[in-house]
Amino acid sequence: MKLIKLKIINFGQFSNFTFDLLNPDINVFYGANEAGKSTIVAFIKQILFGFHLGSHNSPFFENYTPLAQVSPMGGYLLFENEKGQRYELERLYAHGKGSKLGTLTVKCDNQVVPENVFFDQIKNIDGNFYADSFIFNQDMLTKVDQIKQKDLLERIYYLGAADSDKLITVRDDFAKNADSLFKKKGRKLPVNQLLLQIQEQQSKVSDSENEFSVYKELSRDLKKQKELQHNEEEKRLELQRKYDSLEKIEKLVPSYEKLQDLQNQIKTIHFDPEQYQSAQNLALQAETLRKKQQKISEKLNEYSQVKDEDISETKLLQKKPEILQCQAEYHSCLQKEKQIKNEQQQLITLDPNLGKIAALSEEQIIKLQEDFRKLPPKETVINQDKSTKPKQFLLLGGTIFILGLILLFIARAFGLLATGVGIALAVFGYYQQTQMQKSAKVQAERNRRVKEQRFLFEKQYGINPSNLDLNNLINEWRQFQVLSQNLKRNQLRKKELFDLLTPFAVELSQELKQAIDANFSDVLRALDQLTEKIDTDRKRREKQTSLKNNLTENDEELQEVNVKLKMILARAQVNNLNEYREIQKQKLKQDNTKNQISALKSSLQSDLTQLQEFVQDKNSGHKKLQDLATQISLFNENINHLQSKTAEIKVKMENLANSTAVFEERQKLANLKTKLRNLSAEYLANLFTAKWISRALDLASNERFPKMLITAKEYLRLLTNNRYNNIEIGKKITVTRFDGKKLAVEYLSRGTSEQLYFALKLAFVEQIKDQINLPILIDDSFVNFDDQRINEIEKLLQTIAQSNQVLIFTAQRSLVAKLQLQPLTFKKGTEHV
Amino acid sequence: MKFIHFSDAHLDSPFLGLSFLPSKSFNQIQKAPMQSLTNIVDLAIKENVDLVLIAGDTFDSFKPNPSAQIFFAREIERLITAKIQVVMILGNHDHMAKEDLLVPENPYFKLLGEGEKVETASYTTKSGFEYDVTGFSYLANHITDDLAAQFPPKSKHYTFGIMHAQERAGLSSQNVYAPFSLSELQNLNYDYFALGHIHLRQVLSETPLIVYPGNIQGRHINETGPKGCYLGTIDEQTKQTKIHFVQTNLISWNKRQLELTKPIAKTELEKMIINCLKAAATTYFCLQIKGANFLHEKEAELIQDSDFWQMISEKLAHGSQLVDVRFINGSKLAVAVNDQKYFKQAEEEIFTTDQFAQISKDWSLKTEFTNNLVQDPDFIQEVKQLAEVKLNSKLKGVNDEIN
Repeated sequence: MKLIKLKIINFGQFSNFTFDLLNPDINVFYGANEAGKSTIVAFIKQILFGFHLGSHNSPFFENYTPLAQVSPMGGYLLFENEKGQRYELERLYAHGKGSKLGTLTVKCDNQVVPENVFFDQIKNIDGNFYADSFIFNQDMLTKVDQIKQKDLLERIYYLGAADSDKLITVRDDFAKNADSLFKKKGRKLPVNQLLLQIQEQQSKVSDSENEFSVYKELSRDLKKQKELQHNEEEKRLELQRKYDSLEKIEKLVPSYEKLQDLQNQIKTIHFDPEQYQSAQNLALQAETLRKKQQKISEKLNEYSQVKDEDISETKLLQKKPEILQCQAEYHSCLQKEKQIKNEQQQLITLDPNLGKIAALSEEQIIKLQEDFRKLPPKETVINQDKSTKPKQFLLLGGTIFILGLILLFIARAFGLLATGVGIALAVFGYYQQTQMQKSAKVQAERNRRVKEQRFLFEKQYGINPSNLDLNNLINEWRQFQVLSQNLKRNQLRKKELFDLLTPFAVELSQELKQAIDANFSDVLRALDQLTEKIDTDRKRREKQTSLKNNLTENDEELQEVNVKLKMILARAQVNNLNEYREIQKQKLKQDNTKNQISALKSSLQSDLTQLQEFVQDKNSGHKKLQDLATQISLFNENINHLQSKTAEIKVKMENLANSTAVFEERQKLANLKTKLRNLSAEYLANLFTAKWISRALDLASNERFPKMLITAKEYLRLLTNNRYNNIEIGKKITVTRFDGKKLAVEYLSRGTSEQLYFALKLAFVEQIKDQINLPILIDDSFVNFDDQRINEIEKLLQTIAQSNQVLIFTAQRSLVAKLQLQPLTFKKGTEHV
Repeated sequence: MKFIHFSDAHLDSPFLGLSFLPSKSFNQIQKAPMQSLTNIVDLAIKENVDLVLIAGDTFDSFKPNPSAQIFFAREIERLITAKIQVVMILGNHDHMAKEDLLVPENPYFKLLGEGEKVETASYTTKSGFEYDVTGFSYLANHITDDLAAQFPPKSKHYTFGIMHAQERAGLSSQNVYAPFSLSELQNLNYDYFALGHIHLRQVLSETPLIVYPGNIQGRHINETGPKGCYLGTIDEQTKQTKIHFVQTNLISWNKRQLELTKPIAKTELEKMIINCLKAAATTYFCLQIKGANFLHEKEAELIQDSDFWQMISEKLAHGSQLVDVRFINGSKLAVAVNDQKYFKQAEEEIFTTDQFAQISKDWSLKTEFTNNLVQDPDFIQEVKQLAEVKLNSKLKGVNDEIN
């Protein structure tokens, strides 16, 4: 990038000033001191990177005084790059308008383009970078003068990096910050302080961790205590056992004494329980037999009135078939009678007139026939009313009798009554009838006599003589009479049968000792009763006989038993069973005592020996017991003590288990550690940033240094007028003097150090020329342009100019002459060609 | 056969960076490891497993708080009562004597490989399946020997290896946790290798299975995600093993990132943060703010204050908490383009583990804690991010000043 023109509109003391830079390599600005050379340098730098109107410090050369009341300030620069493109950079600032950096307009070949089109070509470096690397003037000298020797060396080292001065400052700030936080040997710095606190806290944590050891110790103690306690308890248990057994013995003493007492009571008793049992049994048997005997006797008493067999009864009974036969005949008579009566009734029903004459005798009938023949057919009949009444009685009697008979089978009392009443009525009827017949005969005769007339006939015979077929009636009467005769015969037979029955009934009644009516059913029933009676009597007789037999047997048995019992009693040498019982009671008592003894013995069995000993000396035994009790209580005390100790340990352990002390101390430590971590991060970030910058500078320098050295060597030789002709870089930078002596940088004079610094700076610019190629601005205050060195300087400038355009600002005419260039001069208002 | 494998319970462990929490939340997180262990025991009983493998660091210290021990003993007794075989080893944190454990003698509880001796125990499940468990316990906090080399060849039974150890890597001085190489374990060809020590859950090898179950409860922001145990099922015929992870933790840790692309009002920022910190369960968050350069210095200061975190936490569901805010540099370093690569290279160089240790040794060698920090990649990363933020804001500040 070559500067070919610069136009100042208003800047510093300049107004409307134009320079055309005709030489692409070296241009010389010639002017006396204060002519404005520095202002041009500032102009170039500020048009490129912005005006410097801020209140902060700026390098000397930029401290120009702007013209008052001129506006706008600024101007433009015209560059041409390798490709022949022309860039016009115009920067203007009007008071109070826009940025104080001024307003930049970039044109490429007269076309307005964005700024970065230009700045990209110089890798977007900033003003510092440009001033630091491309401007060699009085300011730089002053700055270098202010750098300490040691720092100068470092700056020499880092010349390989861009902006290294600024970075070194930044780095130093970080290093300082780091140092303010921590130093290896520091004590009061924050990180050091924290480290100390952590140390303290750690010891606190260890202290608190004693809890763990204490807990362990306690748990061991606890185990020991428990063992101890266990042992003690075992011993106590042993004693307790002894005590218990002795105590038991003591308690058993009364039992033992009782045993002895009982043993003294033992006597020998002869007693055969089997025999006794037999006696008992026999006595019981005898008793039973006696009771049985009594019972049988009582029963026999019941049978004492049993009669002997009665022959008359048997005879009576033998007549039963005969009676039965009579009964059958009697029944058939009754039936026959009924039949005849029916036939008579039928005849009467067929001819009612017959009824009126039925009872007439043969003579009466003949008389009737005569009367009828005498009579006109009308006559009176005998009042039948009177004759029916006795018949009714007779009928009623018969009926009741029959009813009575029937009832006799159903209800004996009613039957007997009815039969009686029936018979009475029949007898009464019969009597009445006979009476009636007599009176009828009297009356009929009276009637026949009184009324011979027809009316009398009718009145006499009750038959209306008119319409009367007398022959027929007579015939019927004859039939009726036959029947009546049959009836009479039948009744006769009945009577015979009845008469046969009556004495039998009387006999039977006597035998049975009860009233028996003379009718067949009663008699037969009585006969059945008789049969029963005979049967019962026989059975009673049989029973009586058997009881008597039993009684005899029993008696014999009783005798036998009594004999046996007596024998046993005699053998047992007792008089009676009661005595024997007394012996048995004593025996039982003895047995009981023996049982008690054996029970006591078996319960005391294991302790008998001890008991014997104990009883021999009761007092010492009791004392032994008391001693044991004392011992046990001592053990108890001890165990209680151990228990309370164990409990104490347990409480301590529990407290430890619940304690948060360890955690709290650890947490405090952790908190401190966090603090340390954070502060350390801060410290390390500062430390590492410093290191980082150093390392980056190193890297940049290391890479560029070897290449820079080739040109730097030449620059140094020219700058030192051949006194130093070589620079080598190994671990350290060494410089070779004209006499071949190699000197480490730290042994160079201040002046030579500065020259080495400038040589390297120029070499750096040369080194980056491919990336950033801008004009180098050199002030004659920077180089010693004395006559002696003028040739060398010219050579130097020529060499530099091969890579970058060089703008020289000088007040020395000789230099201008030597360079054989048309200088650009500073005159107000003039335009330079 | 079923088994559970867990490790690094770190019961009674303190919690880093939570001292500002209200005591209720703090108590909750303090009890969280115990709760997680209880959940694992519940799971073992519910699933009726045959074996529980405990691969070390059950306690945070070899002198643990008695209450933690009593708690642990009670949980183990629950397993014993359920007739579940427990095989436990001790790790670098809990290297104590067997008699210091409060677990009573019982055939169902086995402390394997006392005195750093590789030991094999043989068992038979209720169903008659025979298996061996081989492993060792720590005697002190470091083991530099390769104890994996002392493991016997696999027996004819199903064989478990159990080891509290770390894969060999880096400087020999760092290989102090029974260093092993993966190929070495693979060559042993045990059916299942139960590891402990690394808190990040990972399956180092599928065939044979070599597994870190991770710890059972995250304790700080670098132990993120679900934590718990592995539940394994063995096909007794084929001896094929299937494992699946079961989450048992109470509180999860999570990192969330929020990117700023322009300056933002404070209330808007709060909203964004609360929105960013949504979770379905109790979660402790670390919030990383990318593009923190858009925050004013005062805002940045406020956001990094724990009072601000508490204010945010009160607005989160499930008792979740914001417990950390970190800034991440969002833009390129403000250095010359030509030198970007050198800065990048320099950053890579100095933040390697070795260089980091070297540069910070004055500080790191002061204590074991700082020495552990210096080896912690997360810490290195944190310092690196902080350095980036610092450098860039400084460079920007310088430039802003000039411009």
